[in-house]
Amino acid sequence: MWKDVLNNSDKKKKYINYVNDWEQKIHSFLEFDPERTSAESLSGGGRFSGVPYAVKDNIAVKDYRLTCGSKILENFVSPYDADVIGKLHSSGAVPVAKCNMDEFGMGSSTDNSALAVTNNPWDTGRVSGGSSGGAAAAVAAGLVPFSLGSDTGGSVRQPASFCGVYGLKPTYGAVSRYGLVAYASSLDVIGVLSRDLNLLGDVFDMIKGQDEKDQTTVKLDPDLPSDLQIDDGKPVFGYLGGDLGLDKSVEAGYRNCIDMLIKQGYSVKEISIPALDYVIPAYYTIATAEASANLARFNGVRYGYRSKGAETPLDLMKKTRHEGFGDEVKLRILLGTYVLRSGFQDRYYIKAQKIRTKIINDLASLFKTIELLILPAFPTPAFRHGEAELTQYQQKVADKFTATANLAGIPALSFPAGVYGGLPVGLQLFAPHSREKLLLKGAAIIGREIPVPEVPGYRSIEDICGGQGR
Amino acid sequence: MDKQDKTDKKDKTVFETFIGLEIHIQLITQTKIFCGCRNSFGDPPNTNVCPVCMGYPGVLPVLNEEAVRKSYLMCLALNCTLSEKAVFDRKNYFYPDLPKNYQISQFEHPFGINGYVETTLPDGQAKRIRIHEAHLEEDAGKMIHEGAVSLCDFNRTGTPLLEIVTEPDFKSGEEVESFLQDFRRMIRYLGVSDGNMEEGSMRCDANISINYPGKGLGRKVEIKNLNSSRHVKLAIQHEEIRQAKMIRSGETIIQETRLWNEEKKRTESMRSKEDANDYRYFPEPDLPPFIPTASFIDEIRENLVELPHLRRKRFITEYNLPSETAEFLTDEKGRADFYESVCKEGTDPQTAASWVKGDVAKVLNREKMDITSSPLTAERLVSLLKILDEGKINGQTAKKVLDMIITENRDPVSIITEHSLEQLDNSDELSSIIDSVLAQSSAALEQIKSGDMKPVGFLIGQVMKLSGGKADPKKTKEMIMEKISAL
Repeated sequence: MWKDVLNNSDKKKKYINYVNDWEQKIHSFLEFDPERTSAESLSGGGRFSGVPYAVKDNIAVKDYRLTCGSKILENFVSPYDADVIGKLHSSGAVPVAKCNMDEFGMGSSTDNSALAVTNNPWDTGRVSGGSSGGAAAAVAAGLVPFSLGSDTGGSVRQPASFCGVYGLKPTYGAVSRYGLVAYASSLDVIGVLSRDLNLLGDVFDMIKGQDEKDQTTVKLDPDLPSDLQIDDGKPVFGYLGGDLGLDKSVEAGYRNCIDMLIKQGYSVKEISIPALDYVIPAYYTIATAEASANLARFNGVRYGYRSKGAETPLDLMKKTRHEGFGDEVKLRILLGTYVLRSGFQDRYYIKAQKIRTKIINDLASLFKTIELLILPAFPTPAFRHGEAELTQYQQKVADKFTATANLAGIPALSFPAGVYGGLPVGLQLFAPHSREKLLLKGAAIIGREIPVPEVPGYRSIEDICGGQGR
Repeated sequence: MDKQDKTDKKDKTVFETFIGLEIHIQLITQTKIFCGCRNSFGDPPNTNVCPVCMGYPGVLPVLNEEAVRKSYLMCLALNCTLSEKAVFDRKNYFYPDLPKNYQISQFEHPFGINGYVETTLPDGQAKRIRIHEAHLEEDAGKMIHEGAVSLCDFNRTGTPLLEIVTEPDFKSGEEVESFLQDFRRMIRYLGVSDGNMEEGSMRCDANISINYPGKGLGRKVEIKNLNSSRHVKLAIQHEEIRQAKMIRSGETIIQETRLWNEEKKRTESMRSKEDANDYRYFPEPDLPPFIPTASFIDEIRENLVELPHLRRKRFITEYNLPSETAEFLTDEKGRADFYESVCKEGTDPQTAASWVKGDVAKVLNREKMDITSSPLTAERLVSLLKILDEGKINGQTAKKVLDMIITENRDPVSIITEHSLEQLDNSDELSSIIDSVLAQSSAALEQIKSGDMKPVGFLIGQVMKLSGGKADPKKTKEMIMEKISAL
């Protein structure tokens, strides 16, 4: 049904109305323009012909702004398409919106956006998560069938869990990063969010693959036949034991999911990741070190925000960055600069790399005894705006379940695991390197028993376009 | 020698000087190091730019294989040990002409380390200069200050730059100057760079320290802004004197970077070590390490050519040439190749050398042409010299024909035929020309008869003139003498 939405003016009108109604409440988009795509490009055919989708605002779409949620790029219009956008274009899919996000992907709430406040569709007093908060909220509210986000330490999976949708973080290097504004280059990966697991898998198939413009893209191992027929194989699930410091509702969701699998006859094993407690220091050391260099290019000289009244070129760069970046971004740039100082690298950056290697090894040996690992996406469900419930520091510590997959470079998928106290709870699955198919099958097994929740006010596209409008 | 130097001579302390160089060469490649923009010099500002080399949000570098190949060729020529796994690093510093505000370079694991290169010192002695490392990096753009505004040109941004760092093996500015000339010749031979210091395709910083003999290295000072090998020499000489004067008067040398002021012929402090940037190097996550396979290196090795100093030695022994001639012929690879193809066709090496060094160079110079791209092919010169050798034309005519080959882009045979330039030999024509000259030169004849031979030259000249230069001067002289004695 999504297929004709943009080619049929009656449907398009109803669709736009539906989006605008929701947007007044959630503000998931920084730009929404379903009219921008010309009729010719819509008549091209293809698997996703005329299907609209939304894109996190750190992924380049030609002629759309590329703000990264920052004042420093507020009016920057991208002169080029990211590789993923080009690939989706050839399938006929049409980008119609750019999604709000934490500035440069730094945050867990989207409250760190300098440009808009995005609300959770389940409770507008709460955040939609971050940093791909806009992309998750839009999908949960049914504004688009899927959206593209980016995941450096959990930025696709955590907001997906806050909004009750699926969020895939592919294997590092499975999807080209060309056109993704870098936060931490060795951890960043473009991911997909959707309420529809099959569609999510299809989109991943479309955007994955080696790209000559990104030399870190890897050739994925071919899908194992056993991964495609997993029901017969009955995968062995592992889960983390002990006190994980989870909020009650997340604890319940985690427990219930594991119990359900046991009841269904799957073998479930309690495991531990020895290096888990070191994930956060290692993650923040590596991510901020890389960020301090990646964000150095924003200096007001060639594009973007430029401070007025600077006396010298150096002064111009200083003032531009001082005025253009938000506090969280400055904090991380400073932290990254600190850990890279000469004479201090052994203590921080190099030690973090050693932890990273340890985590890779820990997970590799774990996957000798289990096939999929279930773990929480975040210790809490969606929290309230501001720092009353979770401070910025607590938000960082809480990244440990998601950031583990980024450090290890393995694929991970967060999935809806029920609604508790009116809020969705999400969990995630880890699979070995390049085993996305296994991941999707695992989520499908769980999805049969625990379906994707519908946020109040959600309407399917059939309902929106078939109905009499409003 | 300036005044300064004379007063210093009162103090007889002789210091030992240590000089090391950091040489940057821009590699000759079709495109830039990390994007598809043209790598070319002198185009209008900001015409060879794209989102990648302009550091736009979201772009990624793609390593240029040609730049890698040329770097390895250079590493092999410098006898470097090759890193098993070369790693790119980010060198972080803010400057408006550096789009990403970090430079992709190599720090811990460069392409090559621990090499050496042979050079010939001004006194003819051979010296081995040790190479500390050779690493590949990207060039920055250019900032131009015009009155109240600063402008950036990003054409140069992303030009592949190979930095070669020597050990402090040089003892004087003269050594460095002659080394740089050798070095330039070498990189041009290899075709990795055009080595033009004025255009900045070869740049050199010098580290210099002095100390009491036997005490090892002193505290080093880095000199930048050296735009020719001569200025490198002058700056080093100035710096030696400056540092010696400081030590003699009990001052401590400050470890710092100094700029050479070409006009004032002196170095000036730029920044001290304390003010130096902390570049916060870390491995470039956007580029995988480069692992050179054995077959890759073998393939590169096939492109190694005979280096200029070895070729010069061979020219001296194989063709029996004076050292100065051999040096001229081997100065440019194209010229040496040309010379050798001429010899290969059977031309006498001495004759070939004197032509290539003499008239060929003269005409090409005048026409501002390069031997490799001029209309004078080796075949044409061989053909011309053969005709000359057979006595069909004289030396004067040969020079004229050479000129026409180059300016008119034609074969020597067609030029000689068209202008009927073949020499007049023992013909009636020559005989009658001589007769008419003698008939008009009675005074000269009297003089010769009286035993004064001076006017013979004049008579030959007259004959040459009348024959349009076609007369064989030797034969003409013989016939004149014959005819006079028969009078």
